Amino acid sequence: MNIKFGKWFLVTMLVFIFALVGCSNNSDETSSPTENDENDSTEETGTGTDAGPEDVTIRVAWWGGQERHDRTLEVIELFEAEYPHITVEPEYTGWDGYWERLSTQAAGSNLPDVINMDNSRLNEYYANNLLVDLTPFIEEGLINLDDVDDVYQDINVFGDEVIAISLGANALGISFNRDMAEEYGITFEPGYTYEDLYDMMLEIKEAKGDEEFFGFDLANAEYEMFFTYARQHGQSVYNAEGNGLGFEEQTLVDFFTWVQTMVKDGAAPSHDITMEYIDGGNSMLQEGSAFAQMAASNQIIGHAAGTDYELGLNILPTLEGGEHGNWIRPSMSFSISSHAQEKEAAALFIDFFTNSLEANEILMADRGVPVSQAVRDHLAPLVDGPVLETFEFLELVAEYSREADPLSPPGETEVRGSFLRVVEMLKYDRLTPEEAAQQFIQEASAVLN
Amino acid sequence: MAKLEEVDSSTNLQAIHDRNLKKKRMKENLTGYAIISPWLIGFLALVIGPMIASFYLSFTNYNLLSSAQWTGIDNYVNILTNDGRFRQALTVTLIFVFVSTPLKLLFALFLAMLFNTGRKGTSVFTTIYYIPSIIGGSVAIAVVWRILFGRNGAVNEFVQALGFSGVNWIGNPDTALSVLILLVVWQFGSPMIIFLAGLRQIPQELYEAAAVDGASAFTKFMKITIPLLTPVIFFNLVMQTIGAFMTFTQAYLITGGGPMDSTLFYALYLYEVAFEYLRMGYASAMAWILLVLIAGITLVFFLSSKYWVYYESEGGR
Repeated sequence: MNIKFGKWFLVTMLVFIFALVGCSNNSDETSSPTENDENDSTEETGTGTDAGPEDVTIRVAWWGGQERHDRTLEVIELFEAEYPHITVEPEYTGWDGYWERLSTQAAGSNLPDVINMDNSRLNEYYANNLLVDLTPFIEEGLINLDDVDDVYQDINVFGDEVIAISLGANALGISFNRDMAEEYGITFEPGYTYEDLYDMMLEIKEAKGDEEFFGFDLANAEYEMFFTYARQHGQSVYNAEGNGLGFEEQTLVDFFTWVQTMVKDGAAPSHDITMEYIDGGNSMLQEGSAFAQMAASNQIIGHAAGTDYELGLNILPTLEGGEHGNWIRPSMSFSISSHAQEKEAAALFIDFFTNSLEANEILMADRGVPVSQAVRDHLAPLVDGPVLETFEFLELVAEYSREADPLSPPGETEVRGSFLRVVEMLKYDRLTPEEAAQQFIQEASAVLN
Repeated sequence: MAKLEEVDSSTNLQAIHDRNLKKKRMKENLTGYAIISPWLIGFLALVIGPMIASFYLSFTNYNLLSSAQWTGIDNYVNILTNDGRFRQALTVTLIFVFVSTPLKLLFALFLAMLFNTGRKGTSVFTTIYYIPSIIGGSVAIAVVWRILFGRNGAVNEFVQALGFSGVNWIGNPDTALSVLILLVVWQFGSPMIIFLAGLRQIPQELYEAAAVDGASAFTKFMKITIPLLTPVIFFNLVMQTIGAFMTFTQAYLITGGGPMDSTLFYALYLYEVAFEYLRMGYASAMAWILLVLIAGITLVFFLSSKYWVYYESEGGR
């Protein structure tokens, strides 16, 4: 038996090892199955009839949940009815698979015409020449931004190039439990400081008398919170050139000290509890085991759907004697990729999303508060509950905002990862704020250089 | 003359015969290649091709979005000298491999011995115990595991009922790795089946002879079962070690590498570098380092095998 055994064994083992390296390597072979479709569509373009505009096909990619997919598909139908010569091929996934798919498509020079971009990746794609400058389309009027205030497009403009169009605005805030605030007589209104937040949370915890109750869930959003904190000190996380950090070490030490104190004294849940809720797909806020949590303003729509409590939005704490740290930003944007064959049709599609009243009635501010004043005015009487809350919140934030920092440099994903790892060790009390700050600054600088 | 002609024609015949045979052989070979071609093409296009590409990319800086830039051995140097998380991933993986593999094999052997008694219904149990190996990497099991070992999970209820204080098993950097080791050990199905097959090959006469000589069950196990099973143990050991080095799914689904990188398996870190940070060149270099590492350890196993693996047909060696 053994001779045969040994031979087969060797062969099997070799295959195993080969498979390992094969698997871990770049995934050209997984690149989009839609490649053929695209070729078909370009051929079709060539054979278009002379009557009316030529038939074209554009591919549109976005991420989201089922609800967003349904709404977006409905808008696409509406768009196709309005522009019968344009066929839209949707490519949609959840957030997790989206970037893997997009980067493999980029590697295969096969990006869809219209791509959904997130602020954190915009610079990376721009730096690699994968996005088209939209200025000509805006000047031609294909994309009409007459009703869009500049503030909403701020971070999508690079020098004199416009590389994306905001799909809706949001701002970082705190989502909180209105019922609980009333019950315990807490006035949770703009103007409170970081110290006030600490005191309030302990006050509620004491009133509740529940060991499993924590006031403020940081919700793994410490990085975003520090973004605001640095701005309140007149600094920023990244420097203007995007090749290094833009804050003083002491600022980060102070912030880390605050975070650690919140957790140590029980005003915020420990890291393992926070992660247990996030991994489990629910939140302490919804369950009523936390009074408030860090959130992007449009997240409240999802939170409200999963709880009986009445939720509200508040701005982040203010820094005594500091500047305004808030800013209004696109919650996400549409860009046209440089691989696009039908850039004009793609521009029309983006315009439709931005300006069509009918389309936005279907979308219902799911991607953030619409950036067009006309659309907002049109929707205002139609929305209620949490959606209305986000509309009102953005008006509130505008009073406490200053202009956005330039977009984060490529490599932000890695810097953010490093930040969260350091915060994790801080919250587990394995590092002092000073050590944590040092470690982060060292790691982040290495990435950015 | 006539004789000469005869010889001539016979060599001719011989040549024709040879040619025919060659043709036939070639035809047979071609048929053979045609039959294995789907596998062969797949192997060349999907395994060898990407491997060569990955070897090339490991010497470059490649982020998928723009073309690769040659950087020489920088990636390798950085990984080996300058990457704290690489060392963490390596430590975690080595601990995991050298704890989970022996445990899994012991467990598999133990159950295989139980099922080798030939009692009624053992095949049903064999099937049942094989199930974890099939479903162990699934999302559903990951969720179950997270709930079981969570703060208010069944495991803590049990621990608290015994009078100890509960731990957040998955959220605690000191215990998270053990939870994953337990999950992997629980997937003992395939080594168990192989052990079972090995046990059934051991000639019963040996046991009978030993029984006549008055050997205890323990002696029989140590002197007959283990020596005759060493080839199978060796096979399982190598396969399971290689498998353990490449463990990914369990950590990806349950802990995501946390808390504090305490379950940052090599394959998970590699994935993170490749697909989250888009550093394909660096990740390719990591893959090749892992390949060398696994090959090295496997080689050590092979070299050591002549001292402890006994093949019956080689007269005790």
